[in-house]
Amino acid sequence: MIECRDVVRVYGHEKKGYPALRGVSFAIEKAEFAAVMGPSGCGKSTLLNIVGLLDRPTSGQFLFEGKDASRLNDAERTMLRRRTIGFVFQAFNLLPRLSALENVCLPMTYAGAKRAEREARARELLERVGLKEKALRTPLELSGGERQRVGIARALANRPAMLLADEPTGNLDSKSSADILAMLQDLHEEGLTIVLVTHDPNIAKGAGRLLRLKDGKLE
Amino acid sequence: MRLVEACRTGIRETLAHKTRSALSFSAVAIGVASMLYTFAQTHGMNQEIDRAIGLIGPGRMDVEAKKDYVSKGLSPGLSADDADDVRRSIPELYMVYPVAKHWLNELLSAGRKFDNVLVVGTTPEWSKRDWVYTRRGRWLSEEDVRQASRVCVVIEPGGWVKKPFWASWMWEGPFEGFLKRHDLLGKDLILGDHSFRVVGALRDPPMDKDPRWGHYSEGNVSVLIPVTAMHSMMHDYGQKHPRSVDSIQIDTGDERTLPLAKRRIEAILKRRHNGEEDFEIKDSREEIEGQLKETAKYTLAATVLGAVAILAGGIGILNVTLAALFARIKEIGIRRAVGATRLDILSQFVAEAVLLGLCGGLAGLGLGAGGIAYLARHTDRDLASLTWYHFAGAFLIAGATGFFFSLYPAWKAANLDPVEALRDE
Repeated sequence: MIECRDVVRVYGHEKKGYPALRGVSFAIEKAEFAAVMGPSGCGKSTLLNIVGLLDRPTSGQFLFEGKDASRLNDAERTMLRRRTIGFVFQAFNLLPRLSALENVCLPMTYAGAKRAEREARARELLERVGLKEKALRTPLELSGGERQRVGIARALANRPAMLLADEPTGNLDSKSSADILAMLQDLHEEGLTIVLVTHDPNIAKGAGRLLRLKDGKLE
Repeated sequence: MRLVEACRTGIRETLAHKTRSALSFSAVAIGVASMLYTFAQTHGMNQEIDRAIGLIGPGRMDVEAKKDYVSKGLSPGLSADDADDVRRSIPELYMVYPVAKHWLNELLSAGRKFDNVLVVGTTPEWSKRDWVYTRRGRWLSEEDVRQASRVCVVIEPGGWVKKPFWASWMWEGPFEGFLKRHDLLGKDLILGDHSFRVVGALRDPPMDKDPRWGHYSEGNVSVLIPVTAMHSMMHDYGQKHPRSVDSIQIDTGDERTLPLAKRRIEAILKRRHNGEEDFEIKDSREEIEGQLKETAKYTLAATVLGAVAILAGGIGILNVTLAALFARIKEIGIRRAVGATRLDILSQFVAEAVLLGLCGGLAGLGLGAGGIAYLARHTDRDLASLTWYHFAGAFLIAGATGFFFSLYPAWKAANLDPVEALRDE
């Protein structure tokens, strides 16, 4: 599904800047559930941004379904991203003025889906995450766990091949965390590729594969 | 993302940030209002000029003795006979009349004596142009001219509808003041040695509504008499020619026929003046062109003012859009992460600004139209006569302002690094 070949990411100046990733190589197969672990500042988020096509490696290759994604321009990466990748964030990153339904619709809007079509799909997804009754509430009117469920519904909107979750339970209580993890497990069982970033070993345990990152390198 | 979506998002964001939106909204509104006022000013002025040209006559010529011309003694000078000849030779001319001016030393009326009163001798055709008067009694007739009848028509001052403060410093002749207060119709005036019956009274329009716009062909005339009467009664009038006149006023009735008519009149007069070109034919278009040039200058100044106001509105939009950008970096990051392209972000910001511009424009149209209607009621200028394309133009300018001034901030927003933007708190 994806493959990193000696990926280096340096912030700032190419020679003198700060190297967040210093030669990372790994591959993740379709329908795998991989957890990326490591202490803060080890480059987890940087790796996730590259895998999520938000960022490009300074050197090395990032292959997405066999294609070298590090050579794509911004528009090409955006189009690929919105078709194939769903993001789940630690801070939920919902648009506060939009309702849950509208937040879920957003990726489909950008992908060019018709209004009726995307609303139907969004309702279906909200029902799936158990928020059917709260579709018209704004994020401020939802609890943390509910917000993250909206986040997952949004990530699934365009039927992505891969879900990227950056500390998805970092801001949640243990009950909500368990719910979210169970939901991710279900999705994995349905065949979705999931890459999850966490620094919590208990959460990493649920994943089929563990990548340990330290100081910008895999251990 | 399609345009509709960009607009929908735009409306939502505009409503969500009321203060911010209201600020740029009012900036544009004021800009559009002043733009509209500019349009109204220049449009009103053009109309006044059109009206003035209509009054003067589009093919108007003024024949006068050439200044500083030393005669060889062959020419009898400009006379009423010249006017008659031109009239006979070119019957298709709309108007030909002679003007013989005489500053009267003594005018008696109702036991009162006035000096320095301008009397003009002319023919009935005098009424064909510059007719802005309301008439009582009758006008001079052809019969009056043939008989050299001792009849006259007086012109009463029109006063003011609304007297401006500076009008009190304007000079008013004693006879004018007398005319204002006394109805002379049907009474007799003693002009020099002869008694003239007042058969008609013309009243000037009020000064502030006078469409002649400073164009008076004969100066401040108070008394009009048949030109023949002038020549037979005023002993001191005759100069070289017993029927001498100061000018001949001609109008072909059409601007296009003017050049040809001018050449023909020139030929007739030159023959009558025994080859001496002691006259000059002044074409009123020159005068009108001078006025047009003045208007153009004024128009330019007003347009610059309007443009400055719009520019201020545009900078307001620029400012607000930039501020909006900084407040929404995180949002831009989220939108990029879920699949918005740079173009999506760009169009979202531009759509918002254009929307603001158009709303501001609409309000400006209301404000401007209201203000202009108010001003038109309280001043003498004709401002209210704007047509739809002025409004459409101002409205479009408002939209274009929103568009152009949001391009830079929108471009900046679109080029944010999505990773950096997502990290923004």
